[in-house]
Amino acid sequence: MKRLRLDRWTSHLLAARPSGAPVCTSMAPGASASVSVSLRSRSSPARYQSTAAPAASAPSSTTPNPDKLINVPEDPEFYEGLNLERFPPLEKLPPKVTKLPSPHPDRALKSAKLAALHARLSLPQKLPLQTLARALVDASADENPLFNNTNLAFVGQTIINYHVAEMLMVRYPRLPMNILYAAMKGYAGPTALHHVARSWGIEHTTAPGGEVDPGLLQFSLHNPGKALVTFGYRRAELEGVKKYKWRHGLSSRVVFDDDFGELVDDQEDAERKAAELKQRSDTEYGNAYTRELAERAYANACRAIVGAVYAHCGREPVKAFVKAHILSRTLDLEKLFAFHVPTRELSMLCAREDFEPPVARLLSETGRLSRTPVFVVGIFSGKDKLGEGAASSLEHARTKAAINALKAWYLYSPGEHVRVPSDMLAEDARPWEPVYIDIGEVVAR
Amino acid sequence: MEAIFSRPALACASRAVNPLHPAATAATTSSARLLFFTNTNAIGVPATVRHASTSRRHRRMLRIPPHPSFLTKPDTDQIIFNPPSSAPSVYHTPFKFLPKSDPRRRAALASELFSQPSASTQTQSSSNPADILTQYDQMNPPKGDFNVEDIPPLRQDLQPPSNPRHHLTKEDIEEMRRLRAEDPIKNSVLSLARRFNCSKLFVLMCCKTTPEHAKRIREREEKIRARWGPVKRAAREERQIRKEMILRGEL
Repeated sequence: MKRLRLDRWTSHLLAARPSGAPVCTSMAPGASASVSVSLRSRSSPARYQSTAAPAASAPSSTTPNPDKLINVPEDPEFYEGLNLERFPPLEKLPPKVTKLPSPHPDRALKSAKLAALHARLSLPQKLPLQTLARALVDASADENPLFNNTNLAFVGQTIINYHVAEMLMVRYPRLPMNILYAAMKGYAGPTALHHVARSWGIEHTTAPGGEVDPGLLQFSLHNPGKALVTFGYRRAELEGVKKYKWRHGLSSRVVFDDDFGELVDDQEDAERKAAELKQRSDTEYGNAYTRELAERAYANACRAIVGAVYAHCGREPVKAFVKAHILSRTLDLEKLFAFHVPTRELSMLCAREDFEPPVARLLSETGRLSRTPVFVVGIFSGKDKLGEGAASSLEHARTKAAINALKAWYLYSPGEHVRVPSDMLAEDARPWEPVYIDIGEVVAR
Repeated sequence: MEAIFSRPALACASRAVNPLHPAATAATTSSARLLFFTNTNAIGVPATVRHASTSRRHRRMLRIPPHPSFLTKPDTDQIIFNPPSSAPSVYHTPFKFLPKSDPRRRAALASELFSQPSASTQTQSSSNPADILTQYDQMNPPKGDFNVEDIPPLRQDLQPPSNPRHHLTKEDIEEMRRLRAEDPIKNSVLSLARRFNCSKLFVLMCCKTTPEHAKRIREREEKIRARWGPVKRAAREERQIRKEMILRGEL
């Protein structure tokens, strides 16, 4: 077994925080340091695994004031609002740092978390740490658009949505529009991007402010912030659609609604609805409202990092980045389908495409008179089998076979590595071959 | 285990008695059938059939030889690829659904054009593993979904019941509507369907009832539904949920 080198992992913490464990704030600083040292020596004196630890703790017993190590000035306004005894700063902070809504960009160069995130994502060297720090400041934490990530997130959103839509339309040319919208949301929706950002190891602060580490995602639970601007229009009949559930068909969704086919809402009533939850966000650890805020902030940070890659490095690197982090995720499109009358839809499809009308035939069966029979039914058009389904009753198996046949039609793919239009933007691109385009939907939805 | 191997003659006899034993050879099966029928037709004498009464005989009965696809040909290096049977993937597009421009369509057509006719299957049984394997290969020639030689016949229980004949004229439909509007109770959907010799669905497609009649019917159904007990109600609700799950492909 390999030895865990704790000194490598913790030496910076020990050097910065000589008094060790958090101490009771009611005591004087000098007394607290001596108490902690004496406790440590009494409990298990010989358990140090690193040589740095005793070396760091030795001066702490002689110098009672922990702030001496990082040369904090004595001015009381300098660290106004900070509890230095409870939370001793890890680095020297600029003056009046708590007045700022978000960390100063200069501090990005000193943040270990930011550097680690930059290295973990293998971001290009052209992308500076200051921009990465700005991508982690949500609009709810800092309202100034020069310091928050709104602009970067908007750019990132358009890039992500473009690449996802392009990939889906070329790779699955027969997807119905509502399935395409659902797939778009599955790849590029806020929930998916939230998971992507979490998987990158981004952590968030409890409350935003100028004194926190710039490597942490900063958003506010008390200020909902402005929603990210999307493409689409606010419908004139929005109130009627929401209140009376007026029909809004897919054709109008393409024109009016956002990239995921959802109503563009200016969130007035959402705020009204959230007022009560917002009250609860102070008292409870987490609720639906806080989770939604966190999800939105994480998704916007993910979009902003994509936008930052585009802003500093250009088209090709951002395409590779989106491909590696978002398009590479697995989404089972088969699970998105739900049918109304699949047998009728299949008949209409066969009539439209001039195939022979579909008929169901029993391929095999077992245990017809038993408690658990299995029927395997195939749907044939002429001599070709379109789909197959196995179930415990004939009707169920026929429906399943029809559903499978329809899914096989809709999920036709010309191949996994089919070229997309943005491939043509490369300098040495081969001539474009037209992709397959389907004539349209079988039934109106 | 030594008990199994120590008395092979008795084991053979017990296997021969069971006519459904898959390992029994043709000769022993016929003799077993003979023995079986003579036993059942015996005149009042209790049958002396050896059942799998002991664990040893039961274990012996359940011991079947491996499937021919698991047997390797002697003196050859080969990999046995025998995945369990599973439902076909919907991501595999059937030949008919491939667009004209797809290269897979051309490849399937070409392979169909130049394919050899399949060899006639042999039904001789053999105990040699290699022979069994070749027999298995002949019985299951590799074929794509394009070439379905043996399409199963049509069955009544799988076809939709309606077979539209288009025998009603516009006047008939006008008459049907008039009758329905006149007295919806007397001229019910079923009676109209019988009178015009069409399906109930067709009557429903043609006629629209008066709102009062629809309300009356709805109230009657609600009364019936209110009399259901908890078991019946739960069963109906569960059936509805199951139907929705089937349409979502979850069941």
